Amino acid sequence: MIRSFAAALTIALALSACTTTENTSYCAAPLTGNLESAIRGAESRLADGCTYHFDSYFQSLLSTAENNPDPANPMLFSDFLMGAQDRGIISQRQAQSLYNRYFNVKFVSLQGDYNTCSQTCPVRDQVMSDMRAELHDKEMGLLRASADPQSFYRADNLLKETELVLEATCRACDAGGR
Amino acid sequence: MQLRPSLDSLQRLLIALPLIALTTTSFAAPNSSGPVVRLFPTTVLEDIRETGQVAADMENNLQEVIHRLDLQQQLYTESLCQGADGDQGCDRIAKQLGATYLEMLNAMSDRLPEMEHAVNSTRASLEKRLREELGQRTTPTSLQNALLGEATPAVKQDKPALRGRSGVRLSDRFKQYYELVATHRDGPGQSLAVVAADIYLDMEEASALIAATQQEIARASLMEQLNQSFGMITPEMAAVVGGVKEILFGESAGGAPIASPPYVIGETPFVSPLAM
Repeated sequence: MIRSFAAALTIALALSACTTTENTSYCAAPLTGNLESAIRGAESRLADGCTYHFDSYFQSLLSTAENNPDPANPMLFSDFLMGAQDRGIISQRQAQSLYNRYFNVKFVSLQGDYNTCSQTCPVRDQVMSDMRAELHDKEMGLLRASADPQSFYRADNLLKETELVLEATCRACDAGGR
Repeated sequence: MQLRPSLDSLQRLLIALPLIALTTTSFAAPNSSGPVVRLFPTTVLEDIRETGQVAADMENNLQEVIHRLDLQQQLYTESLCQGADGDQGCDRIAKQLGATYLEMLNAMSDRLPEMEHAVNSTRASLEKRLREELGQRTTPTSLQNALLGEATPAVKQDKPALRGRSGVRLSDRFKQYYELVATHRDGPGQSLAVVAADIYLDMEEASALIAATQQEIARASLMEQLNQSFGMITPEMAAVVGGVKEILFGESAGGAPIASPPYVIGETPFVSPLAM
């Protein structure tokens, strides 16, 4: 009895290991084809339980888009992110953040509901640093992946103008004791 | 000869001055997601107009004396006076040049207190507006929206550049700056928040330069008075006069515009439901 139980356990463990290995290689396999087919592949794997690979899929899709730049690519990414949000893989906030970070002129790094004097000025250097990093991502999303230099230049100009306006505004805030 | 530092200050001051004569009417920056931001109410515009008038007066006042300096410098050069020590004619020209140079310093000295008052007044009123309108009444989100605007129209390529670019006559710059702000009546080409910030930062710089210049002028005048005794003319003087002339009358090429290539409105862009 004990001997047959041990044998069954061994077989079960072996099968489980095989499944895990199979899943790992399935989830980690590179996404292939153009952006649309790569997105279908990513969606299929996410539906099959590869949710922990979401970030790597997103980066892989960006690389695919970079190799196939097209003004329609933001729409494909938007649909992909909304689908992931609908399936509960990422939150609405994450979906918005990812989309806007890469494909919107506006900066996710410059957000807030409190006034500029109290919220932004005390951490102005950090905000500007975050915006510069975000511009780098916009270069990938807008310029390389979407072939949309106009929007990227607008984002670049927005960053410069924000720097100037924040410098003046925060000086004025300091002069008035916030 | 230690005239250079003081005249550097003069030059930098002259560079900063055009920005203080921006406009003569009231404008408000559009804010797509909040209350209208009023950066240029009548009080601020009055300060700017007054300061611009003082700057224009200074230009007119210096134009004649700099023209004379130019002629005297030309005469000095054409007479091969450089290095001609002991030549009485050259000494006379050098003394005349030095005297005119002193006249220029005095002309600036006469105007500076009035300019200082006007600049400080404008700086203070702009500072208050920036603090209240952009600092306290605006969130980072709405600030970004205001800067970006709903749709930025194509910007004219001859739009005057900000932050003290040289290359045009001062009074012409005033006219250009007026036109720059006037275009906001028909729609934003460049956010008035940027214009206000730009002017304010230049006002701060101008204010500091005026104070430094006032201190330096007395010393520079004394040094030149001593030079008059010895009939000296220095290359620094000639270079500085050339620099001031360039700034006032725009004899060099203009600078590059600060704005990026304009956003061309054509086909309707895709707008994601995820977009901010």
